[in-house]
Amino acid sequence: MSRRTYLIKRVFQAILSLWIIATILFFLFRMGLPDPTAALITEGLNPEQREAVRAQFGLDQPVWQQYFLFLSNAVQGEFGTSFSYRAPVAGIVWERLANTMILMLAAIVLAYGIGVPLGAWLSWRRGSRVDTAGIFVGLMFRSAPMFWTGMIAILIFGVTLSLMPTSGMRTLPYDAVGFWDKVLTLDFLWHAVLPVMIVALYYLGSPLLIMRNTMLEVYGEDFIEMARAKGLPERDILYKHAARNALLPVVTQLAVTIGLAAGGQVVVEVVFSWPGLGREILNAVRTSDFPLAQASFLIMAAFVITLNLFVDILYTTLDPRVSFR
Amino acid sequence: MTMPPFLRAAAGPLKLMLQDRLAVIGLCVLGVIIAMALLAPMIATHDPRQINEIEDGSVLVRGTDTWELSESLGPLALNDADHRGNEALIVGREGTVWERDGDDWRRVQVPVAADLHAVAFGPQAGALIVGDSSTVLAQVGEGWRVIDPPRPADLRGVAWIDPDSALIVGAGEEIWRLDVASGDITEIDSPVGRGFALASVARDTDGTLLAVGARGLAVRYDPATGAATLDRLGSSRDLNHIHIAPGGAALVVGERGTLLRRDGPEARWQTDTAPDTRALRAGWIDDGGRAVAVGRNGIAMEWDGDAWQLATTESERHLRALLIEGDRWLALGSDRFVTRLAPPSAEHWFGTDHLGRDLYSQNVHGSRIALLVGFLGATLVVLIGTNVGLIAGYYRGRTEAVLMRTVDVMYGIPFEPFALILVLLFQPSLLIVILAVSLLTWRTVARLIRSQVLSLRERPFVKAARVAGASDLRIMYLHIFPNVMPLVFLELAIIVGVSIIAEATLSFLGLGPPHSISWGGILHDARLSGAWRTAWWWNLPPGIFIMVTVLSVFFVSRSLEVVANPRLRARQ
Repeated sequence: MSRRTYLIKRVFQAILSLWIIATILFFLFRMGLPDPTAALITEGLNPEQREAVRAQFGLDQPVWQQYFLFLSNAVQGEFGTSFSYRAPVAGIVWERLANTMILMLAAIVLAYGIGVPLGAWLSWRRGSRVDTAGIFVGLMFRSAPMFWTGMIAILIFGVTLSLMPTSGMRTLPYDAVGFWDKVLTLDFLWHAVLPVMIVALYYLGSPLLIMRNTMLEVYGEDFIEMARAKGLPERDILYKHAARNALLPVVTQLAVTIGLAAGGQVVVEVVFSWPGLGREILNAVRTSDFPLAQASFLIMAAFVITLNLFVDILYTTLDPRVSFR
Repeated sequence: MTMPPFLRAAAGPLKLMLQDRLAVIGLCVLGVIIAMALLAPMIATHDPRQINEIEDGSVLVRGTDTWELSESLGPLALNDADHRGNEALIVGREGTVWERDGDDWRRVQVPVAADLHAVAFGPQAGALIVGDSSTVLAQVGEGWRVIDPPRPADLRGVAWIDPDSALIVGAGEEIWRLDVASGDITEIDSPVGRGFALASVARDTDGTLLAVGARGLAVRYDPATGAATLDRLGSSRDLNHIHIAPGGAALVVGERGTLLRRDGPEARWQTDTAPDTRALRAGWIDDGGRAVAVGRNGIAMEWDGDAWQLATTESERHLRALLIEGDRWLALGSDRFVTRLAPPSAEHWFGTDHLGRDLYSQNVHGSRIALLVGFLGATLVVLIGTNVGLIAGYYRGRTEAVLMRTVDVMYGIPFEPFALILVLLFQPSLLIVILAVSLLTWRTVARLIRSQVLSLRERPFVKAARVAGASDLRIMYLHIFPNVMPLVFLELAIIVGVSIIAEATLSFLGLGPPHSISWGGILHDARLSGAWRTAWWWNLPPGIFIMVTVLSVFFVSRSLEVVANPRLRARQ
């Protein structure tokens, strides 16, 4: 199979996946919330307005027509109006998605930036106390739920030491025009420290352990013996020969992690009141804001699938040995 | 009897695991936690849902801006206090009497065990204590003499008429005049005579005595005529306590924040607005315009000259008495109060939460849901994942394509938001939580098992079985399955950890199985109450339990990885 056909096939698969997810989502919501406008009565909406909303989502039509309306709306990026924000859903979702991604990407970069070299170093010191301690700490943060480590971090750095802000992305009130205006400030950086640290510590374990274990396997390879025989310094063998060849499984893991990053870490967003997409979904379903919940999830899934697709394509470029299925 | 092959395959990993120290530690810790879950009702010291109350001889001292909790006087509630010069007495339940001893308090032994309700020092010498079961105690030198009552009664208040006699009032509208020297008691007819409880009595500046009680009842006794007459204070609420200052200022407090104040001996009684409507149990006023009242749930209010201001108190204990000497203000209590947010103690090892529930017991019970969801969820995940992997890997072709594309689709669904939506749409229940935890997680298991099966199905023993005429099912489950067993166990262990965290996450978001106690749920309560920012004992233990459980599962899975992957084994 040529690279070209592989790519086409892969894109087609992604679209198929997205369609299946959209379908599952549609029926899940219809099963769970047969009449989403029921929640609107408490909001003080009069019957005419309610009928308008019902017509917008085609709730007065048979299910299969609703389904096609839903699909065609989704393809056109038409997600309706949020019940609680009274604003177009799409704009809200994209902003929240950006908030989530900046938190997740910063944390992932930090985790892999520290985890990979640390894992390589631990493998070099294998069997020592440092090695055991490193594995232990990595596994420990992997085992502790993030909402708990987050709460403890807030308790220590926010409440007891009063060092860091513990909620939101910026000190309120603030004016910012657009996303970058909001993010490119010291205030934002200051707010991001704790949540990014918490997510990064959680992610740290996997690059650390994968790198360490793969390095150990690589040490057994002939070319390492060869390098030793040539009398190269141990440091060069470690970083120039072994580490480069051990990177691949870490990159695989990184791909999966980035691919699912859009899903975010709902609990971290909740604990730190970070206005991300996961927290938005939670609030939307809690307040029965059905257009927002549905659109958030669909856009999130679309983003995850697109990221997966890009990562896969990038991966085939990085490692020529990967055969095109 | 020979072991079936799959059992032998299962026993192998166990033997290998026992050689790994970390795995043994993990297994031990896991064993302890499983034992904790199984024996939870026996290990827990309290019912985890029960709201705990305790009684305590509480003392609150008025500090610069708040009433601070001071060292308790014994385990029994304190009901009343009085002082004369440097002497001071506090009385409480079950015959509790405390006497000032320098800067400290000394417990005094009295020959009764009834609840004592009131104490009063005589104008020159002596003191009287009255209480339930017609208890009347008179101080004689260093000791206490029991005065024989004329009939059974629960006595509530006492005040001296002159150095030789005192007036005692009781819960059955008793008004008794006591001659202290002889111990003779004369019963005086109440002007009402309907058995209304009298709660407190005080000597007024004109030499008469004023008693207050239920439904706003006020009775004035004039020692000169020896008769009691009805008085009106302008309230019909139950009145609990009266205090009259030497210059004639007076304060009566009662139920639902009743405050009746009189500025001088001739002034009219006026009803003040209280900043809180809970029951007030004791009041104090002086002629210089200072006044204070205390009541249930740590309510303390102070008169600032124009209005009553609520003071901050360090505790929600029920305050029943005041002891005011110059600038030293003490508030005393406390009958049974809810032990909210109590730090760890011998009674509550992990402290209590905002409703006074025992956190140690909650944590112990919390292990049940964690392990139940963890193991059930993981079993379900491995069951689905292994079968999908086996079938996809063995049959190949169209079956494989359909199954593995399904797995691909699942990789496009972010786990946490999906679980949230599932639980929120279909009402949280144990089943939905387990489903939410396991419905997406099987994707990794299916992929792993399939890749393993792909290589196994080309092995000679599979071909041999096929030639021998074995059915597909037989080959899959009797020949291939035992060979992927170590991998299955490894995945099982990893997913137990994942499921435990997933359940804790859902519970933390308030979406766990309803009416259940779980580690995540404890943290949910803590976050919701807002008190977690101070009550470290509330949010520390559940997280540690989750971490230790998942960590030990990881240790076990790490050694299973060695079992599943012989290359790792050879190297170590």
